[in-house]
Amino acid sequence: MSTIERAATRIGITGASPPRGFAAHSFPQRFARNRLALVSFIFIVVCLLLSIFGPTMYNVDPNRQHYEAINTWPSAAHPLGTDSLGRDTLARILSGLRVSLLVAFYVETITILLGASLGLLAGYFGGWSDTLLSRLADMLFAFPGLLLAILVAAVFGQAVTERFGGVGRLLLVAGALALVSWPLMARYVRGQTLSLKERDFVLAAHAVGANDARILVRQILPNVAGLIIVAATLDVASVVVSEAVLSLLGLGIQPPDPSIGQMIRQAIDYLEQNWSQVFFPSAVLTLLVLAFSFAGDGLRDAFDPTSQN
Amino acid sequence: MGRIIGQRLLSLVFVIFSITFLTFSVGYLAPGDPILVMLGPRRDPAIYNNLRHQYGLDQPWYVQYWSYVNGLAHLDLGKSYHYQNKSVNDILASGIPVSVQLGGTALLLSLVLGIPAGIFSALHQNSWLDRTNLFLMLALFSIPSFVLIPILRALNYFLLYKNGLPSLPPAGWGQPANWVLPVLVLAAANLGYIARLTRSSMLEVLKQDYIRTATAKGLRQRRIMYVHALRNALLPIVTVIGPLLAFLVTGAFVVESLFAIPGVGFIAVQSIGQRDYPVIQGTTVLLATTVVLMNLLTDIAYTFLDPRVRTSA
Repeated sequence: MSTIERAATRIGITGASPPRGFAAHSFPQRFARNRLALVSFIFIVVCLLLSIFGPTMYNVDPNRQHYEAINTWPSAAHPLGTDSLGRDTLARILSGLRVSLLVAFYVETITILLGASLGLLAGYFGGWSDTLLSRLADMLFAFPGLLLAILVAAVFGQAVTERFGGVGRLLLVAGALALVSWPLMARYVRGQTLSLKERDFVLAAHAVGANDARILVRQILPNVAGLIIVAATLDVASVVVSEAVLSLLGLGIQPPDPSIGQMIRQAIDYLEQNWSQVFFPSAVLTLLVLAFSFAGDGLRDAFDPTSQN
Repeated sequence: MGRIIGQRLLSLVFVIFSITFLTFSVGYLAPGDPILVMLGPRRDPAIYNNLRHQYGLDQPWYVQYWSYVNGLAHLDLGKSYHYQNKSVNDILASGIPVSVQLGGTALLLSLVLGIPAGIFSALHQNSWLDRTNLFLMLALFSIPSFVLIPILRALNYFLLYKNGLPSLPPAGWGQPANWVLPVLVLAAANLGYIARLTRSSMLEVLKQDYIRTATAKGLRQRRIMYVHALRNALLPIVTVIGPLLAFLVTGAFVVESLFAIPGVGFIAVQSIGQRDYPVIQGTTVLLATTVVLMNLLTDIAYTFLDPRVRTSA
């Protein structure tokens, strides 16, 4: 920070805008006051830890078939029972959870890197870059729901699996889903940037001679960070469902590797004999989705005290 | 108003161009040689070249794109790779009425139940009735369809079938009883969405000055609610037909394949397994264009419904 800028910050005409400093101060308290959001956040952390350490702690091969226990209810040997091929459900849920969260992580990484940065640039510079981005986003918005992701995963799926194996498939699924979710992020960030760049503190930064790159990174980015985090958290909820839908349609992670959507699909056929095998993966997935929505809502309220009601 | 419609038509051209271009590109870039797959082990270069020519795959990409768009303009979605004597039109034709019936009924049901549920909640704002209703609608909106399906099927089996009561068929299509479960599942998310939207829009309208005026001049509460407030509160519902249709499209893939309903979604999922790209492309173009056209119709309808939009043009 240059001397003159530091001086400007001290007298409060530039630097971080007041809302940011204010939010950073009491942010955890405000988030924690929303009990539902707090519980959701804890649940998400537990799921994350389970997906990272679970498969090592519960050391059962999720793909091994136990022929003496086919489609069983929970028991001492298999805490959550076994599926119709005799595979341990707890082990499969833990690995499936890892897949869900890993896909969500990749999707949000792409969405934030691509969507947020393009949104920032388009909103800040306007002109042809803005037109180009808006048209590109419109092109992708033309496809309702998951249609584009389904198309991409369907056409490239098999070849990618053949050439790059399971990891390639996972990345393809993430890429296909990111294709659907980045334009929305770009649109949010662009809108926010458009209004931020007219604010006094940006003007002040211009006045003290900061260049565009510096203003974008030091002045605008901190003020859209909250929006980006909230939008990404809420988006995870829909990405988790979307990944399950792709798996369900046979487009996601390929058998025998476990994914929660696929587990539900397979267990539905044996619902009448053993509903526990549908129940466990469905419950985990639904709770995960709800947790991300509630946590996202909580974050939004905590970032923006005016939206409490 | 004419200008608004003109603008919308112009952007429609752009959007439909994007749909066809993106769909074509994905198919064009598809790895593997469909003709080799088609021929299997019997590889006669003459037949190979002949088939390649028949499908136009020996042409450069812009010629292929042009003939693709040209076909689309004549409502011809191309030829199937898997069924060599069938066109994509033939394959999809049987599914379209099924999907339209299923999706249309679900949309209707979600409107018929969702709007009253939203009004009810708004009229009892912050009471326990409102809160229960809101929670229920949030649950309907957020529970994924593939979780709702086993729940309904389990209820149907364990509560009705096992007790010898009349029960619903768990899957299939054809009988009226087949409709109940898939329509319920497909309507659920939209129902929750519409109810919550109606509630907030109704509450917004009830705060307006003209409602206070109506109360002040002594109109009956019921008349204010159902004549003055409701009319304006329902306007936003018209604008969300787009998102509602998007839910239906993704929902159709899941619901049709889990209930074995021979609609467009089911056909598409089947053709994914057969690597029949023209059918997948055809489905994509068909569904995306339908949604875009419906959006245009809603926009036009909106300008008729809302005088403010009309006069501002």
